[in-house]
Amino acid sequence: MRTDDAGRAAFHRLNRRDFIRTSAAGLGAAAVLAGSGRTASAATSPYPDWIARSDKPAKRGGSMARASAWDPPLIDPRLTQSVGLYQFVTLTSSRLVRYVFSDEASGPTDLTLKGDLAESWQASPDHRVWTFKLRQGVKWHNMAPVNGREFVAADVKYCFEQYAKEGVQSFNFQEIEAIETPDKYTVRLHLNTPNVLLAQNLAEPIAVLFAREVLEKDGDLKKTLIGTGPYMLKEHTRKVRIVLQRHPDYFEKNAPHVDEYTILSTPDAATRLAAFRTGQADFIWVASPSEVETVRKTNPNAVVQAYHNTLAPFGLTLAQDRAPFNDVRVRRAISMAIDRQKMVDTVFEGHGIPGWGVPYIYYTDKQPTLAQLGPWFQYKPAEAKKLLAEAGHPNGFPTTLFYYEYFPQMTSEVQLVQQDLKKNLNIDVKITKLDYTTYYGRYVESKWDGMCWGFQSGHGIGLDERTYQFLHSRSPKNFFRVNDPMIDELCTKLRQTPDPAQQRALTKKLVEREFDQAYRLWMPYDNGFLVFQPHMRNASAPALRRSDGYGASTLARTWLDK
Amino acid sequence: MRKYVLRRLLLAIPVLLLSSLIVFGLMRVMPGDALIALMGESGNIGERELAHVRQQLHLDLPYYQQYAIWLWQLVSLRPGDSIFTGEAITVSLAKSIPVTLELTVLALVLGLVIAVPIGVLSATRQDTASDYVGRVVAVSGLSLPDFWLATLVITFAALWFHWIPPIGYTSFWDSPWRNLQQFLLPAAVLGFRLSAATMRMTRSTVLEVLREDYVRTAWAKGLGGRIVVYKHALKNALIPVVTIVGGQIGVLLAGAVVVESIFALPGMGRLTVEAILYRDYPVVQTNVMLVATTLVTLNLLVDLSYAWLDPRIRYR
Repeated sequence: MRTDDAGRAAFHRLNRRDFIRTSAAGLGAAAVLAGSGRTASAATSPYPDWIARSDKPAKRGGSMARASAWDPPLIDPRLTQSVGLYQFVTLTSSRLVRYVFSDEASGPTDLTLKGDLAESWQASPDHRVWTFKLRQGVKWHNMAPVNGREFVAADVKYCFEQYAKEGVQSFNFQEIEAIETPDKYTVRLHLNTPNVLLAQNLAEPIAVLFAREVLEKDGDLKKTLIGTGPYMLKEHTRKVRIVLQRHPDYFEKNAPHVDEYTILSTPDAATRLAAFRTGQADFIWVASPSEVETVRKTNPNAVVQAYHNTLAPFGLTLAQDRAPFNDVRVRRAISMAIDRQKMVDTVFEGHGIPGWGVPYIYYTDKQPTLAQLGPWFQYKPAEAKKLLAEAGHPNGFPTTLFYYEYFPQMTSEVQLVQQDLKKNLNIDVKITKLDYTTYYGRYVESKWDGMCWGFQSGHGIGLDERTYQFLHSRSPKNFFRVNDPMIDELCTKLRQTPDPAQQRALTKKLVEREFDQAYRLWMPYDNGFLVFQPHMRNASAPALRRSDGYGASTLARTWLDK
Repeated sequence: MRKYVLRRLLLAIPVLLLSSLIVFGLMRVMPGDALIALMGESGNIGERELAHVRQQLHLDLPYYQQYAIWLWQLVSLRPGDSIFTGEAITVSLAKSIPVTLELTVLALVLGLVIAVPIGVLSATRQDTASDYVGRVVAVSGLSLPDFWLATLVITFAALWFHWIPPIGYTSFWDSPWRNLQQFLLPAAVLGFRLSAATMRMTRSTVLEVLREDYVRTAWAKGLGGRIVVYKHALKNALIPVVTIVGGQIGVLLAGAVVVESIFALPGMGRLTVEAILYRDYPVVQTNVMLVATTLVTLNLLVDLSYAWLDPRIRYR
């Protein structure tokens, strides 16, 4: 799994010395601030969390590049949700609807939907039938075997049926019972059950539309990717580069502005940083404030966006379908024995969030503070010990924890959890660090005992994806093994509630239930920064949609002021 | 000589068979599954679908049958396709071998160009300042890990010169200048280690040879220092150097794994590392066998070169 909002374009290589130094400083600071009630999210950054669109008229031309850690193993959107593919596929391929681009958004948390290939859409009163009116005259890329023919309703029907039939997106599309195409420009989707959030689901990057001719000819989409998006895939050489070329017949006449966008496969973080410093890359993701300062020493004119994280993608996942973690007291005790504030201060240099799973923007206006996450997320070792004793484990117990190091700070977090649990609850955690494939296979198989440093996929933007798809007991993406009829009911009810205010209330209730039962013990996560060369315009990353990751489609509006 | 070569070639067969068994076994013993990594990014992959793909890739057969199929594929030079990308392994290798070959050859050339003259200089000026400098450089080359040196080189190139090699491999035939810009720094990093080992060996063997009777005779005949050292001493001193260079090819290939990653070169090192991480059995197995065959061949060539360097050596 790769993450986006979550994601890691360039992880800070925090070495042991840095960590000890930062830990010492952080612990000192934490001690000083302990009485001041400072919360993790209160840490401020000197950089704005939003870069408004440029008022100047956009210039056409030029080429843009980025050094990327991600190299897509394959380019078939049916077979992967990897950010390696989605860092560019929404630029080559359109969806029916999309979220606002950064030049249209009022701020980072603006999640307004806009028509992409659909001009308008409407749901039946029971939200089981959705009708989409398509744009007319949209052309596929002028590449064999599609050769720039017109995009029509039958293409949507074909794609959605293929998604439902096989591959990793099938769960999302299997709720579509039948698809009608009454005319060339109308698609009608009939759902198994009501879903008021369907339009959001179809705006997810994983819902891109591909050309049927390619799949019919090759049997898969591993070699050729043809869409209707602003860019055409000119070159994909694995481990070297992805080159996107402007689509001259793109349906938005003035976009895209940049002629060519090259993504350079660069596995090493130091090289990516060097690429930005020397101008080979136009923007870069860095994790920590100290990294930003390092970059600004050589590139003082660089424009920095303090990214606005709305969720934490990683957390302590417990085998809660079996003892001892099926006892809510054990889960709560573990949660209370972990000092999240210390992690934010030391591991993430204060620029992090304490951790929650459902994006807060769906139920509250401001980023929650640690105190607002409820009693079980506060660091209270004495109460934790008492609770564990009540659960029948006064002397702790031995357990295991496996993880894959997605980024260096994760190892520090895992070790801090191990220390806290030993010190506060006498729980002996045996840590196993695994390679990605072993970790991934074991994690998604969901048959392991003990604990795991688990994740939720990074691509999800919509509320349905972040609730029903990740929390419902029947969902295959419910990796945290949540099995609570109340959660199931709330998730389902959310899909039947069109009123936004009621949706927020329901989401809040759902999140409170999740926190109360300590189902998913989210762990602190950094906010990170996007750093742009000074000539970049309209490339700001909105919440949940980083422009170097799953939110790449916004680059269709980027232009270069040089 | 012919008999010797034939015997060595025959002996290579069990070595390669053993290598194939080891790599095949190791890949099967390692935990994790390429198919789950490939298909289960969201966890919603059905058992039926997995079983179907396993069958297609012969992963449902007993190990001995999988081994036999793979061996036959290797012998018939059709090693199959990558599980992860679906690309034919021959195609992947055709793309990555030239990169690694260019990198290692350049590193070898750079390493030798630096190492041999400095080694000779160190030996002929034993215990002088230039000898000490040469020795310090050699010890540094042996001590500094490739990843560290490569990271420093790229970081300081960016800081001091505001320049790093252009990222994104370009073939020599498409643009020789750009290609050289991309390869010189990584080759220098890779060659540094080789030069260190070679420099030390050259120094010690030249020192030894310079004390031989025939060298003393050469001096006594009144030959010039350059002729004595380069014509009489150096050639005889090169046998151990050639041996060590032959052995260092393996080290160069291992170092290429790291250097290719840092300098973003799409060579065999990156191909193999990625294949290992994703448990892409056919790719790992084929790459390892290719490297094993290369090393066996190089060792044979090194042995054969002894006779050219020292006519007293005869093969039986």
